Amino acid sequence: MALAIETVDLCRRFGERLVVDRIHLQVPERSVYGFLGRNGAGKTTTIKLLLGLLRPDAGRALVCGIDVVQDRRLAARKIGALLDTLGLYGHLSGRENLDLTRRLLGLPRTEIERVLEITEMTRHAARPVSHYSLGMRQRLGLARALLGSPEVLLLDEPGNGLDPEGIGELRVFLKSLPERTGATVLVSSHQLGEIEQTCTHVGILADGRLVCQGRLQELKAGFDSEILIGTPSPAAAEALLRKHGIAVETRGDGLLAHLPAGALGQQMAAMINHSLWQAGIEVHALVPRQPSLESLFRAIGSMPAHEHPLASS
Amino acid sequence: MPRLRSDFSAVLIVELIKLRRSLALLLAAVAPALVAVFLFFNLLRMEKPGPWAMALQSSAAIWAFFMLPMSVTALTALVAHTEHGSRSWEHLRALPLPAWHWYAAKLLCVLGLVLAMSLWLAVLTPAALGLGGWLNPPAAPTGAMHYSDFLLLLTRIAVSASLLVALQLWVALRFSSFVPALALGIGGTFFAVVATSARIGVVLPWQIPVNQLASDPARADLALLVGLIGGALACGWLLHDLARREVV
Repeated sequence: MALAIETVDLCRRFGERLVVDRIHLQVPERSVYGFLGRNGAGKTTTIKLLLGLLRPDAGRALVCGIDVVQDRRLAARKIGALLDTLGLYGHLSGRENLDLTRRLLGLPRTEIERVLEITEMTRHAARPVSHYSLGMRQRLGLARALLGSPEVLLLDEPGNGLDPEGIGELRVFLKSLPERTGATVLVSSHQLGEIEQTCTHVGILADGRLVCQGRLQELKAGFDSEILIGTPSPAAAEALLRKHGIAVETRGDGLLAHLPAGALGQQMAAMINHSLWQAGIEVHALVPRQPSLESLFRAIGSMPAHEHPLASS
Repeated sequence: MPRLRSDFSAVLIVELIKLRRSLALLLAAVAPALVAVFLFFNLLRMEKPGPWAMALQSSAAIWAFFMLPMSVTALTALVAHTEHGSRSWEHLRALPLPAWHWYAAKLLCVLGLVLAMSLWLAVLTPAALGLGGWLNPPAAPTGAMHYSDFLLLLTRIAVSASLLVALQLWVALRFSSFVPALALGIGGTFFAVVATSARIGVVLPWQIPVNQLASDPARADLALLVGLIGGALACGWLLHDLARREVV
């Protein structure tokens, strides 16, 4: 598996605090990698280390095989970035803002129209950025990151300020990027639902450490799944399933059976159905459910629900 | 090497484009105009004429003594705020360009603007005095107008301000808040005003420009030399210090 981004034992301190702690990031080429973690987990610091804005205290960071510390400029040529600070000039128009970066990257003028079209900002491009909404600024920032079709896109909270329609469009766009341009996308976000629908891979940071990473489906398979059981006799069904050693809880009119990691949902559903039918208990629904990214995130990060970033949003 | 040169020219052009519709450019146009406006109204209320040489000297004195140091303070703060305000440093420093390019380009822009402001004053001053003299003939300046001397004096004032520019720009770029740069500029100008005749003035960055008006040519030359050499050293320090800093 070729890696577009790789870090080896990457460390960074701020004073006494180890903000990035021996991170081994492995982002496969042409993947859309969701970089998750609560506020202060070290996501932005890691992105800044990849961009060469910060120097690591230890370890290495490689982008397309290029060491970011040893050859920052060569590595930077491979990267397009959208950072949470955006860095747009309010007194200049959208097109002028893009033109600045275009000139610096030595790209033809046609690049501006191309990225404006992709981000659907063409009709707003002549207006000063100070008149833009947050969502429009975000789109312009994304347009700027796309200038020159970089091999690697680093996007820090790209959905900030976008309306639901814009978030949906961003999702479709990011998912299509690897196929359309061959780019690899690393996207940091708190919008777990969006990440789940967008990303092929995820990495979860907690207190500066990368606690897990990999293909999203494989990570989910490593966690407990559930089967929702619809029955008019939940008490009888619960007693029977407990006898079979299955953890069950009452959920509304039905039951929720918790399956251990690695259990095959379809087979377990068939077995439960068979047992309940044999005992004469009617079943009107059996729905195997994979764990959501949010439940996975909480389980891995051991994060109390009230501290979850989404709880306050 | 050609690559480096073309990269730097792109950065310089980008810095010039950023000045479009900016407050920094507005300030550069307005500050010398204020001196000319003052000279114009001052001449309107005069009853007797004075020589051109004295009128032009007054313009240069107001400029060097007060307006230039204050303008440099505001100009450097505004140029730096273009990046601090929009929080653009992360984006700029992440681009595949040497970090020092950004600071060198800003330095050249501000030095160029200061020179342009001086030349703008050289245009506006005779125009304001001429118009004032036309509206109030009894006070119209008399004698020969040694324009080349005036131009040379303003150029010397601008060049001797190199140390002042480098110092103010370094502080403005180094700190994202306006406060340190403004405090330094206002404080420096204050001491330059209250200690006008102090011997140390020849090395005080905010007073070096006004020393170009000194009656002793040796003192003016020494101040010019201090401004130039000190400016070159300060520019070097600015590039070294800011380029090695991380973007936290």
